[in-house]
Amino acid sequence: MLFDVTQLALERAIEGAGKRHEALAANIANANTPGYQRLEVDFHSALASAMDRGDETPSALERLSFKPAKDQAAGVTRADGSTVDIDTEAAQLAVNALEQQAAVQVAHTRINILKAAMGVGG
Amino acid sequence: MSMFGGLEISASGLTAERLRMDVTAENLANAQTTRGANGQPYRRKEVILQEAPGSFGATLSSVMGGGQNSSGGGVHVAGVVEDSTPPKRIYDPGHPDADAEGYVSMPNVDTVSEMVDLISASRAYEANVTAMQAAKQMFSRTLELLR
Repeated sequence: MLFDVTQLALERAIEGAGKRHEALAANIANANTPGYQRLEVDFHSALASAMDRGDETPSALERLSFKPAKDQAAGVTRADGSTVDIDTEAAQLAVNALEQQAAVQVAHTRINILKAAMGVGG
Repeated sequence: MSMFGGLEISASGLTAERLRMDVTAENLANAQTTRGANGQPYRRKEVILQEAPGSFGATLSSVMGGGQNSSGGGVHVAGVVEDSTPPKRIYDPGHPDADAEGYVSMPNVDTVSEMVDLISASRAYEANVTAMQAAKQMFSRTLELLR
């Protein structure tokens, strides 16, 4: 098999980070919207549970879909009823971008290894 | 949501925060205006923001597939409304707009709170710019995979 489970998982992680970025960007865009409930995409646990399926892992990874959900755990800290804390959102955004970069870099290196093995040079 | 959903969401935030800055600037400029458009003292304006629904496609797929699929369309300006608090009355009998008792109705603009609004809009604008830059970096990094 040319592309193994790890490569598939990396692809899904990149996709998940993209979805999470959308949710965090929406939170920041709504930083001044009264009563707004922050969105969160928990792609880490979705990926982890798919990776835990043994032989069914590849098909579980294929079927994964990352859905944004209202973050029920976030408490209201503001007078206008919004659960957005702009500093936390900005920090999470930076963390998420770095995670995406890590996944992309690993995927890139693995592709280069395959290329080298095929004799097309990396 | 398209591939560039993150950029569109942040762009909606930029539009909204810029409008807040424009409206705050108008309030500050008219802080002493006793003759507004209707002949009455100027009334402070305020921007109402609301969460924007997702695109038609995103809404349809969330109805068909059950559960929310996209993060929506960012933020939407629901409208600009006038602040209904009564005007401040200042005793200045020499003023051409003074009433029979010598009181002038001044706009209900508090310059200090307008300045605070201005800073909050400016900071929120910067946060949206940062989110946009992060999205741009993520897209170009993913494209690097093709090299």
